[in-house]
Amino acid sequence: MNIVLIFLITIFSISLFFYGKSKTKTISIKDNIKLNALPKFYGYYLVLWCSIPALVFLLVWSLFEPVIIKSIIIETAANQGATFNDKNEANLIYEKIKAIHLGTYFGDIDSILKESALAYAKFINLFTNSKVVLIFGIIIASVIYSLKKIKNNSKARDDVEVILKGLLFVSSLIAILTTLGIIFSLLFESIKFFSVINVFDYLFGTNWSPQRAFVRDASSITAAEFEELKDAFGFIPLIAGTSFIAFIAMLVAVPIGLFSGIYMAEYASIKVRRISKPIIEILAGIPTVVYGFFAALTVGPFFRQVGENLGLTVSSESALAAGLIMGIMIIPYVSSLSDDVINSVPQSLRDGSYAVGATKSETIKQVVIPAALPGIIGSVLLAVSRAIGETMIVVMAAGLAANLTINPLESTTTITTQIVMILVGDQEFDSPKTQSAFALGLTLFIATLILNYIAQRAVKKYREKYD
Amino acid sequence: MNNIKIKSKNLNVYYGDKQALFDVNLDLNEKEVTALIGPSGCGKSTFIRCINRMNDVIDICKVTGNIEMDGMNINDKDLDVVSLRERVGMVFQKPNPFPKSIYDNISYGPKIHGKGETKSELDQIVENSLKKSALWEEVKDRLDEPGTSLSGGQQQRLCIARAISVNPEVILMDEPCSALDPIATAKIEELIDELKKTYTIVIVTHSMAQAVRVSQKTGFFHLGKLIEVGKTEKIFKNPDNKMTQDYITGRFG
Repeated sequence: MNIVLIFLITIFSISLFFYGKSKTKTISIKDNIKLNALPKFYGYYLVLWCSIPALVFLLVWSLFEPVIIKSIIIETAANQGATFNDKNEANLIYEKIKAIHLGTYFGDIDSILKESALAYAKFINLFTNSKVVLIFGIIIASVIYSLKKIKNNSKARDDVEVILKGLLFVSSLIAILTTLGIIFSLLFESIKFFSVINVFDYLFGTNWSPQRAFVRDASSITAAEFEELKDAFGFIPLIAGTSFIAFIAMLVAVPIGLFSGIYMAEYASIKVRRISKPIIEILAGIPTVVYGFFAALTVGPFFRQVGENLGLTVSSESALAAGLIMGIMIIPYVSSLSDDVINSVPQSLRDGSYAVGATKSETIKQVVIPAALPGIIGSVLLAVSRAIGETMIVVMAAGLAANLTINPLESTTTITTQIVMILVGDQEFDSPKTQSAFALGLTLFIATLILNYIAQRAVKKYREKYD
Repeated sequence: MNNIKIKSKNLNVYYGDKQALFDVNLDLNEKEVTALIGPSGCGKSTFIRCINRMNDVIDICKVTGNIEMDGMNINDKDLDVVSLRERVGMVFQKPNPFPKSIYDNISYGPKIHGKGETKSELDQIVENSLKKSALWEEVKDRLDEPGTSLSGGQQQRLCIARAISVNPEVILMDEPCSALDPIATAKIEELIDELKKTYTIVIVTHSMAQAVRVSQKTGFFHLGKLIEVGKTEKIFKNPDNKMTQDYITGRFG
C-alpha cells in the first residue's frame, strides 16, 4: 500500500513540475510579466510542495500506526475477556490476532481471538482508508497553496533554496542523531554493566572469563556470586592482546608501507606509479574475512610447521600470524596516505636541498620526511586505529583464549574477538556477560576516537604549514 | 676586466620535444654580477639551472653543448654533481627554508659535505654565513626557532646564507626578489653588492632597475636565444640590437 502511495506521489510530483514550468511560462508571456525566477524554479517549487508534506505525513503515520492499532486491539481483546499477566503475554496475544488476520495461525482459535481478529481487520481497514484520504487531502491542500503562490509570481527561487537547505540540514541531522543514538545505547548498556562490576575491577583486572558469569538477573546477585563475578571481567588481557597484535601489525605495515610510499612518491616513474598504486590499493579492498582464512589456513599452519622444525611450540592460532596478516592488510593505508603526504611537500624544498649538493636519499631523509612527518604520523595512527578495530582476522587467526602473554607464538585474543564471542548465539540480555560486550565496545570506541582525533590533528597541522 | 669563470658554448636545452635554449654562448666573469633579463619563458632560468645541473631533476630535460667552469666541463655525464653544487650555490625565486631551525637550515649543507666536524666549527660556519648574509644581528638570539618563522625578506637572506654556508665559488639567483617588498629587495641588493667581492653571481631578474643597480654585465634573452650581452651600462644606454632596445624601454615583454 505504502509503495503504491509513494509511487503515486512521485508521478504526481513529476507531472506537476512540467505543469508548473509551462504554466508560468504562459502566464509570463500572456500577461507580459517579468517572472521573479526561471520557470523551472516554479516547477521545483510545486514538486517540493507536492511531495514533502505528503511523504513526511506518510512516514509519521507509518511509525505510529502499528503502535496505536496494537494498543487498541489489546484493549479490545481484554474487553472480550482475554487474560494476560504482563506485557509479554499481551504481545503474544496480539501476535496471534495478527496471524489469524493474515491466515498464518494454525493453533486453536477461540471466540475471543476470533472477535479480536475481526476487530483488527476493521481497524486496519479504517486506518488504511483514512491514511489514503488524508494523504490526498494534504497533497491537494499543498498543491492549491503552492499554485496560488505561483500565480502571485512569488520568489520561487528563494523558496526553493530555503526548502533545499532544510532538506540538506535534515540529512545531516539524521547522520548525527544516528551516531549519538549508537553512542548512547553503548553508554547506557555499559552503565548497567558497571553497576554490577566495579569500573576499576574491569579496567585493571587481569583475568577475563565472562563464561563464569551465568547469573541470569543482575538484580538478584548473591554476595558469593558477586565475588565470583568480580574478577571475571578483567580488561587487561584484552587490551594487552589487542595492542600486541596491533603492534605486530604495525611492525609489518609501517616500514613496508612507508618505504613503498616513499618509492611511489620520489622514485617511481609516472608509468610505474600509475600501475602499481592501484594494485597496492587493491589490498585494502580485499574483504577482511579473506585475509582471515588466509591467516588461519595458510599462515598459521605454516608458522607452526616452521616452529616445529626449529623445536618451538607454536600454537596454530598465534598472535604472530594474525598480526602479520593484519599488517599486510594495513600496508595500503600507510603507503597510500604517506605517498600523498610526501607528494604534497613542495618541490622547492627538494630543490633547495639539491642546490646545496645533497643527494636524493639525503634530501628525502633530512628534508622531505621531516617536512611530511606530521602527516605520516597521522597516517600511521589511522592505520593503528584500523588495526585495533579489526575483527575478522583475529577471530579467525588469533584464538579466543584471553592469555596475558608477550609470546607471539601463543594464541591470544582481542577486544573485538571477545565482543563477537559474547554476542554469538542465544544470550540473556540482562546478564553481565552480555552487557560486558557493550562495555568493551565503549572502551574500543573511546580508544579509536582518541587515536583518530590525534591523527586528524597531526594531519591538519601538516596541511596548515604548506597551504 | 676579470677572468672568465663560466663559459658556455653552443648550449642547447630541450624539454622533451620542445627546445628551450638555442646555441647560447655566454661568458660569466669572476667576482662580478651578471644579470639575465628577458620576458617570461625566454630561457634565463633554464640557463642558470644548467650551471649547477639542477635540470637533472627534470626527467624530460636534455642538455647539449658545452658549459665550462674554470675549464671543467659541467655538462660531463661523469661529473660529480654533489661537488659541482658545492661550488655553485643557488637561491630560488620563492624563499624555501627547510622546516627546521634557523641553525639547522644553515648547518645542513656543511654537514652533508662533511665540513664542520666539531660543534664549534659548525657554530662558526653558521655565524659566518649569517653575518655574510646580513642576518646575524636579527637572528643571533633565536637560532633554534624555525626558519619558516622569519619574514619573507629574512627567509630569503636565510636561503642566501644557506647557499654561502658550503663556501661556493658561484651563486645563482633566480629572481630572488620577486616575492619580496621594496625594502626587503633593497636589503638583498645591498647584500649582492657585498657578496660580489667574494663570489661570482648570476642573477635572473624581471626588474630592469634591479639589473642596472646590481650588475656589471647584462644578457638579454628572448625565445631561448641570447640576443645581446655586454656591459650593463652599454645594454641599458646604447644597445646594439633593436629588440633589446624595445625590451628595456618597455615596448614589449
